[in-house]
Amino acid sequence: MSDTLETINSWDKRAWAQVDALLEREGIRRDGNLDYTCGIFDDDRRLVATGSTFRNTLRCFAVDSARQGEGLLNEVVSHLTAREAERGLFHLFVYTKAKSVKFFKDLGFYEIARVEDTLSFLENRPRSFKNYCDGLAKSRRPGRSAAIVMNANPFTLGHRYLVERAARENDTVHLFVLSEDESLVPFDVRWKLVTRGVADLENVICHKSGPYIISAATFPSYFLRDEAAVIEGHARLDLALFGSIAPALGLSARYVGEEPTSQVTGLYNRVMAQELPKLGLSCVIVPRLETGGAAVSASTVRRLIHDGRMEEARELVPATTWEYLASPEAAPVLEAIRRAGEVVHY
Amino acid sequence: MEILRSAMAGTLESSDAQVTVEPGEGGIELELSSSVMNQYGRQIKATVLETLERLEVKDARVTVVDKGALDCTLKARVECAVFRSCGKSAENIPWGGAVR
Repeated sequence: MSDTLETINSWDKRAWAQVDALLEREGIRRDGNLDYTCGIFDDDRRLVATGSTFRNTLRCFAVDSARQGEGLLNEVVSHLTAREAERGLFHLFVYTKAKSVKFFKDLGFYEIARVEDTLSFLENRPRSFKNYCDGLAKSRRPGRSAAIVMNANPFTLGHRYLVERAARENDTVHLFVLSEDESLVPFDVRWKLVTRGVADLENVICHKSGPYIISAATFPSYFLRDEAAVIEGHARLDLALFGSIAPALGLSARYVGEEPTSQVTGLYNRVMAQELPKLGLSCVIVPRLETGGAAVSASTVRRLIHDGRMEEARELVPATTWEYLASPEAAPVLEAIRRAGEVVHY
Repeated sequence: MEILRSAMAGTLESSDAQVTVEPGEGGIELELSSSVMNQYGRQIKATVLETLERLEVKDARVTVVDKGALDCTLKARVECAVFRSCGKSAENIPWGGAVR
């Protein structure tokens, strides 16, 4: 008997039907966002093992129950890691069912988070997550500390309002800016606008969120459209990791802006309100700042920029952000927002 | 040899090893996981370090996931990963010798 490992091409309906059937037999539903899938076929062209990637994550693994224990998973993981290496990705993550963790531990992966004994999250660098937490611990301050995580796409008066509130109620605020470069406003600009926008608040420390907070690895559905159940799963995983990050900074609360429109952020907030107390953190949901009866949000600002209503956008952002938006430097970003089909977070 | 970019060689299949080399932060940093760690961990480590030394690699982060590879396999995988990382794998390489 000889098996062959092949790429599953997007047009190969027959192969995809086999992938879905195999995943289903193992109790897994195929993720909506995958960028590569491979499979091992036996002599009779029956699919006996499969695995996929999305960016730097490996996921959707299954091996036919009749063919388990032959090392097929090793072959699939080898192939996927080699492919990731070809596109320059070496720091890899694995999503898998908790009961499969032991197989991945044998393949050089280390578990860093687990969700309710069902889902496990691993990475291939043994000290990376610990180094990340140790790095954060250096900016730990005594007293009451809180965290805020924001994309700030771009930084508005609404963000500023949230930060001010947290800064008033805590000795220290650790402000994480999403470092994943998936937004219309690029990370270096978002970072600059946030750090300038809070520069006068002495007890606010800014951090780059890195790979462990709302990244394409922990929370892919934050950046790409997916179903509610998937979003919720990702949110739980993200918060399980946050539970390990919080002690490094001695956090006692996380502040979030109330979410009236975006489905993803709304779901994330709801899961946070449930999960954070279990981690010993309070979840403070702050009602949005309103101007003229409407909530101030970055989505609104992007919409106004998109529609060319710059003077109205100006009303919703701090002077530091406006200074940037009005500068020649901002031209390519403004152009990208104007040309974007969808400027509002789903 | 200077590690210019990250590169990988080998597989996770039985009797093989997957070796990844990445630019280091001053010195050799070796991360080894092996299915035969208790029996051969020290020997595997020595073989990998020796091969790196022969190739005059002084600054690298090296990750080895070993699935029971023989010494010759380990050496070949380390060499291959190092050559790939400095763009030498397309050249005519005297495998097993030190390449400058």
